[in-house]
Amino acid sequence: MNAPNRYELYVIEEGETPVEVIEDTKIPNAATIKILKQDHTLGNMLRAQLLTMPQVLFAGYKVPHPLHPYFILKIQTDGTITPDLVLSEACNQLIGTLSTLESKFKREFSFKEADGGPGAASAAGGAFATSDDPYGTGAGTGGGAGWGNRDDYLDF
Amino acid sequence: MDPVLRIREYQRDRVNFVLENVDLAMANSLRRVMMADLPTVAIDLVVVEANTTVLPDEFIVHRLGMVPLVSTNCDAAIRYTRDCNCEGESCEFCSMILTLHVKCNESITMDVTSNHLELQPHPEKGIEEAGEEPVRRTENFGLPVGKNDPDVDPILICKIRKGQELKVKCQVKKGIAKEHAKWSPCSAVAFEYDPHNKLRHTSYWYETDEKAEWPLGENAREEEPSREDELFDFNAKPNKFYFDVETDGSLGAQEVVMKVCDTFASSENVADERST
Ligand SMILES: [Zn+2]
Repeated sequence: MNAPNRYELYVIEEGETPVEVIEDTKIPNAATIKILKQDHTLGNMLRAQLLTMPQVLFAGYKVPHPLHPYFILKIQTDGTITPDLVLSEACNQLIGTLSTLESKFKREFSFKEADGGPGAASAAGGAFATSDDPYGTGAGTGGGAGWGNRDDYLDF
Repeated sequence: MDPVLRIREYQRDRVNFVLENVDLAMANSLRRVMMADLPTVAIDLVVVEANTTVLPDEFIVHRLGMVPLVSTNCDAAIRYTRDCNCEGESCEFCSMILTLHVKCNESITMDVTSNHLELQPHPEKGIEEAGEEPVRRTENFGLPVGKNDPDVDPILICKIRKGQELKVKCQVKKGIAKEHAKWSPCSAVAFEYDPHNKLRHTSYWYETDEKAEWPLGENAREEEPSREDELFDFNAKPNKFYFDVETDGSLGAQEVVMKVCDTFASSENVADERST
């Protein structure tokens, strides 16, 4: 009854800053970045991307407590670029990778649909036809009443 | 290097693909997003008006919550109540109403199933402001997956005998699986890399013979086994990832995979904008 709302784990509330950069006073070109309402999904990925960049000397992240919805990212660079800029660059690279990935998925799905849509190839296999098409709607019938509208899944 | 993608199998509710040239962290984050970050709709609040079945109210309410509901294009078709202008009143823009009323009058054991859930017109018209959500909904949006489809077995909610009755009113809300697992569009996401364990990210327990006791899976055919005389390469990194995504029907497999890239990139955008 006193439990906080579960959505507080991932929704940024009024007055909260999603990203806070704290420059390190003892280590040169280093910063600690606190990212609110994000978890290992983003933390680990940013860390990995930063480590591929030659300007980065150190990158590490931690989620200090599983009940506290934020993670901390520590970055040290070689001085040719500031830690917050290198983070921004890492984010852009990841967004780039994801958009290529998205277009690859689109391409692959369109090829699969040209082949006769979901399940066509395997349903033809015979023995497994039922298990491959658990909802029995078949490849050709789809559309209107079916729930998995294939290519028109976002078409309104 | 650009990521390489190959879809091995694709069905309405399932897709199997191989992803190459990405980092382990990226592949794992992809998996995490598919399981926990994509919005769907599910029954969230239930008013039990009559329950003379053998199951207690909470038991039935829990079962109702787990029923997968069609959530196609959920981003545009419904709002989160917390983001809605109705201030938690649950209007037609941020909720839907499903009712169920079943009574058994014969001397039989009757099944109460997800097919008995009926969509009701929303009594709370949204405040006068413009809201396009309801028109963006597909015909069966918010209905149990497979309802009115004779080929799909409905989901059993409880069984009743003569004289017993169940009458409930349910509010359908949008949410994500970080709040409750019922909002996950995926029933399973299989994830594998390095089928021959060349990287030694794991060590197998065995009685006498490791190879005999740990048979290779399907994905092992995609990669060369290590030779006997091969030295351990401690610099090697995983590069090829095998996914098998199975949804509960609330979203199609294609929609799940396509939405991942979106959802994901937007969280990086936030991190990016604020850090500069
Ligand atoms: Zn509302």
